[in-house]
Amino acid sequence: MYKYLLENAGDINWMAIFALVTFVAIFLIGTITVLRRDAGFIEKMSRMPLEDSNTLTSENADHHEK
Amino acid sequence: MAQIEKFSYDNAIVRNFAYATVLWGVVGMLVGLIAALQLIIPELNLGIAETTFGRIRPLHTNAAIFAFVGNGIFMGVYYSLQRLLKARMFSDALSKFHFWGWQAIIVSAAITLPLGITSSHEYAELEWPIDIAIAVVWIAFGINMFGTILKRREHHLYVAIWFYIATWITVTVLHVGNNLEIPVNMWKSYPVFAGVQDALVQWWYGHNAVAFFLTTPYLGLMYYFLPKAANRPVYSYKLSIIHFWALIFIYIWAGPHHLLYTSLPDWAQSLGTVFSIMLIAPSWGGMLNGLLTLRGAWDRVRQDPILKFMVVAVTAYGMATFEGPMLSIKSVNAISHFTDWTIGHVHVGTLGWNGFLTFGVLYWLLPRIFNTKLYSIKLANAHFWIGTLGILFYAIPLYWAGWTQSLMWKQFTADGFLQYGNFLETVTQILPMYALRALGGTLYLVGVFIMVYNLLKTVNSGKLEANEAVEAPARETYVKHKGEHWHRWIERRPMQMLVASTILILIGGLVEVAPMMLVDNNVPRIESVTPYTPLELTGRDIYIREGCLGCHSQMVRPFRSETERYGDYSKSGEFIYDRPFLWGSKRTGPDLHRLGGKYPDSWHFNHMLDPESMSPGSIMPPYPWLIEDDVDLGELPDKIRVLRTLGTPYPARYEEIAVNDAQKQAMQVAQSLRADGIEMEGLENKEIVALIAYLQRLGTDIKPKPQAGN
Repeated sequence: MYKYLLENAGDINWMAIFALVTFVAIFLIGTITVLRRDAGFIEKMSRMPLEDSNTLTSENADHHEK
Repeated sequence: MAQIEKFSYDNAIVRNFAYATVLWGVVGMLVGLIAALQLIIPELNLGIAETTFGRIRPLHTNAAIFAFVGNGIFMGVYYSLQRLLKARMFSDALSKFHFWGWQAIIVSAAITLPLGITSSHEYAELEWPIDIAIAVVWIAFGINMFGTILKRREHHLYVAIWFYIATWITVTVLHVGNNLEIPVNMWKSYPVFAGVQDALVQWWYGHNAVAFFLTTPYLGLMYYFLPKAANRPVYSYKLSIIHFWALIFIYIWAGPHHLLYTSLPDWAQSLGTVFSIMLIAPSWGGMLNGLLTLRGAWDRVRQDPILKFMVVAVTAYGMATFEGPMLSIKSVNAISHFTDWTIGHVHVGTLGWNGFLTFGVLYWLLPRIFNTKLYSIKLANAHFWIGTLGILFYAIPLYWAGWTQSLMWKQFTADGFLQYGNFLETVTQILPMYALRALGGTLYLVGVFIMVYNLLKTVNSGKLEANEAVEAPARETYVKHKGEHWHRWIERRPMQMLVASTILILIGGLVEVAPMMLVDNNVPRIESVTPYTPLELTGRDIYIREGCLGCHSQMVRPFRSETERYGDYSKSGEFIYDRPFLWGSKRTGPDLHRLGGKYPDSWHFNHMLDPESMSPGSIMPPYPWLIEDDVDLGELPDKIRVLRTLGTPYPARYEEIAVNDAQKQAMQVAQSLRADGIEMEGLENKEIVALIAYLQRLGTDIKPKPQAGN
């Protein structure tokens, strides 16, 4: 199996290798940097949709029929 | 402390897009239902060209994608963008221009597609004047969005906005790339690319229309509206960052999975497969992020129909994005491609993911901007259950139909012959599944009508707060902290975010598409392949006008089951004069690439007049207008000129004799029809003659010519 894969490796187009290397690089760099981020900032960002109601005229009431 | 500023959100534009998404949703689904019913009862076209399946199928897909989902995107973006940025839209005038411009485009699509005015590129069928209008309106939307981002009061951009930015730039690139065409007249153009190159560009577009119109903007909506509806922050903001970058990078490469086992070079097919499989990771990361946002709130899902809609939407996203990569594996694709399995797959995405998320957002948002309560939770729950049942009745029969038909296509007898040599047998077998699918569509539409009633009552019970007054601190100059993370930097810089997203999506596009255009040996030439004659070209344009590729492919894949049934497999060199390519994506009828010379001219005449006379039990509609209407050869000189400009080797000044040549060939076809007993005044002037000339040409370039004495 491995021998078969290796034998055919030479046929793989350079574009396929380029694609794979680029993806792995971007994915790894992205993941590592994201995981090293400041927890407080992440918490603030994740709450952003919940803290965007600064309405003056309408209350943030429950808009559901009971 | 920054100064508190008072301003207002524009809710009127949100309401307008909300109304539009509901209205066009009903229209698009209704047209889809009519198309589905025509597959069981072809007479439902009422004998009218404009209401026949081939023409209304693109009307349905365009209405569902660009009218229903498109307006749904804009509704959600205009609502969330203002609030996340704490700023009113940049320009009310641009908002209005965007709204009315988009509706005008939809109306022009609804007029031109039934008239047969189409480029035949799937999901990009609209002709060039409308393409330009789309570009203008899309740019107006972009200016409005980026203008709002620039004048924001919030330093950092929430992840939903990144998805909006990536959507905007990618759709811009895709729309331009796939609509490079040269006009022949106001309503006809030929694409710059031909054959296999056109196919690659089209499916690079087609797949990414799914990715960047049906997915990324809706992920933005999910990241905003799901936390709002659940009243808790997204499960993992870090995961959402990885989700975003990985998704936009990978998605753009996946297009060639629509062309597996076709004449596309193997390397491009392999790239499409590899990246499609990798897509599972970010897609499921996003789905799990959505579902886990509801951790600790599942009790509320039982009571709240909005959360129910959102949960099923995210689940459908997960199912579709698992199934998509599976369908991209070549051995699975060999079974699924050209069958109803693909249609079932697509509808899990559109009905479940896009539809249900749109409904959830509508139920959440309209009561808020009208300062009222939802009229009836019971009706919303009824809508949810009927809609869910509709999706099940839609998808499961089509999966069944796809498997059944594909296996029948491939079944050989013990003696090595095709067991179901007559294609029609494989169609009649799945008609009960088509009936169940139509039932599923009906149920889904009934649910939508319930929603319309519920929302109308809701809106009538409140009053629109067109300009919602709010206050927020002004944006101060941001002070960078020591050791600040690079991503925090980019989150404050929308333009840099735009550039980074553009680079990422361009890498995939360029590496895949550019070599196909630049490296000649990707499309080996075949000596015997010649340009279409003027009459064949005219017939081909009639084939395009009638939307024949909605049901017939022109791509024989290199499987024994296909070469036995249709003839030699298709080679890329055979399509070099095909502008546009017409490979199709679905076989409701048989493949036509090797049709030429298979039947006499009279068979085609009779078949188009009454398909059942030649194929009893056929679900193909009759095309009497092709026999009644005179063919228009007046545009031939312009067509020849444009095609020569694009590289088709018509001799110099051939346009001057093209009409004459077409008439001569028409006389020959008419003569052959008369020899078979078909008598009709002016037969040689009818459209059917041109269509027959084209059909008889199909796939004959590389067929061995009969030798003297044989």
